[in-house]
Amino acid sequence: MDNGTMWELSSTLVGGIATLAIFSFLIRENGFYRFFEHLFIGIAAGLGPMLVIRDFLWPNILEPMLGYSMRMYPDGTPVKPYQPFYLLYLVPMAFGSLYYCIYSKRHAWLAKVVIGFTLGVSGALAIRGFFSEAIPQVASSFKPLVVFQNGVFSLFESLNNSLFVVTLLLVLNYFLFTFGRPGAVQGKIAPLGRPLLMVCFGAFFGSTVMARLALLVERVQFIVRDWVAAVGTLVGLG
Amino acid sequence: MGSRRLIYLIMIVAVAAPILFGISQRPSRLVSAERMYDVIENVKVQPGEVAMVWLDFGPNTIAENEPQAMVMIEHLFRRRIPVILLSQYQQAERFLSRVPQTVARQLEAEMPGQTWRYGEAWINVGYKPGAAIFMQSLVNASNVSGFLGRDVNGMPISQYPTFASIGGIERVKVVGEVTGLVGVFDTIIQFFQKKGYRPTIVHGCTSITIPEAYIFLDSGQLNGLLEGIAGAAWYSEVLKNAHPSSDNSRLLVTNTALSAAHLVIIGLIIVGNLVPLFSRWRARHG
Repeated sequence: MDNGTMWELSSTLVGGIATLAIFSFLIRENGFYRFFEHLFIGIAAGLGPMLVIRDFLWPNILEPMLGYSMRMYPDGTPVKPYQPFYLLYLVPMAFGSLYYCIYSKRHAWLAKVVIGFTLGVSGALAIRGFFSEAIPQVASSFKPLVVFQNGVFSLFESLNNSLFVVTLLLVLNYFLFTFGRPGAVQGKIAPLGRPLLMVCFGAFFGSTVMARLALLVERVQFIVRDWVAAVGTLVGLG
Repeated sequence: MGSRRLIYLIMIVAVAAPILFGISQRPSRLVSAERMYDVIENVKVQPGEVAMVWLDFGPNTIAENEPQAMVMIEHLFRRRIPVILLSQYQQAERFLSRVPQTVARQLEAEMPGQTWRYGEAWINVGYKPGAAIFMQSLVNASNVSGFLGRDVNGMPISQYPTFASIGGIERVKVVGEVTGLVGVFDTIIQFFQKKGYRPTIVHGCTSITIPEAYIFLDSGQLNGLLEGIAGAAWYSEVLKNAHPSSDNSRLLVTNTALSAAHLVIIGLIIVGNLVPLFSRWRARHG
């Protein structure tokens, strides 16, 4: 058995044991389940920083700054001289490091400068993102109530668009809390938005159930096919 | 045995039966998945142009997202569109290498003599932190290859002739996003465009995020959608119609097991409502 196959086999075996440990919670809370739950949280927490260092900090910042990414001729002389501009990375790095001043009562104000900068950048990105995401959606909600396709009246599309527009207006009206009186038309039709919202929540709930069941199906498939086969291989039956 | 545990047992048996006996049904037709197939089938890609596929999922949504990623990449590979794989999500690390390798192996087994090799058919540039800031910088880069720098193995992208000189994002013809994370797909919609250019965007979503994804589909911001396992199953069926030697049996069994689970839930809801009604009727009529 080569290393690759051995690796696949071991990861399948461990994966199966971990799955059964998590499923054991269905019977009752137990130490086996707790152990694997903490193991998963630990792995997930450790993976993040490691990947940020490996895939971003090292190749994009540290390697060029330290000159390790310089290409050399066989005699050891560099193809291009070291670019001292890479040292400018130290400025934003030093600025970002001020975030850690939050742990000092005396210097906590320095962290606020970084937080303020981050909030400014995030706010600007959110505004830009909102407009490029929402404006086309607002525009697409202005649908014609009478639809002609190739010059022929389309009853289905017309009903579809009408249902969309009526739902949109009723739900928007339901969330108007600033004006309108209980006796006015706006107040009288406001409750009509609620059942439409309930239909929406029902769809959300149904799709959530479907997603959870999909997880169950995948795990059962993994246990029944892959894990049982791996156990069979381990005990010499495969 | 408590009723709760009995329900779990019934559910596991219902799900395991189709898997154990290999029972599969033809999946339901899904128009949005067909739209996605047509989009990828008809997109015109010149030499030097690529597809960029973001696999932003981890073990928590593997059930739905991995089959979607598989069929999406299978179709791109069949069309010989070079694919750049990357992720905004740390836990996708393993899938970035496993999914294209599995698809390449399947296609090579199906078509002896043809090859799909790393560096030619696809490259994996790994996890990219920064979300919107990264996306903004990527879109503004005049040379995507230079901006991405190296692949996950530390090799400069300039070493791979297919991906060495991509240029700006105008050369990225298709953007695929496979995720179940709320807000991640929005980053693509919000930032992966520049004045005068917007690529074809296709999306594989989990069942939970289907209602959200429909909004993008309706507004035309999204060109094709795979809805959960059902979407992937129908896409694989459409692929099989075009390429009869492809094997989608495992995905169809998965989809059938999911349908069995739905039927059990519907049955339990009906039984759960009928039993109290019957008990009340019996108490009233002796």
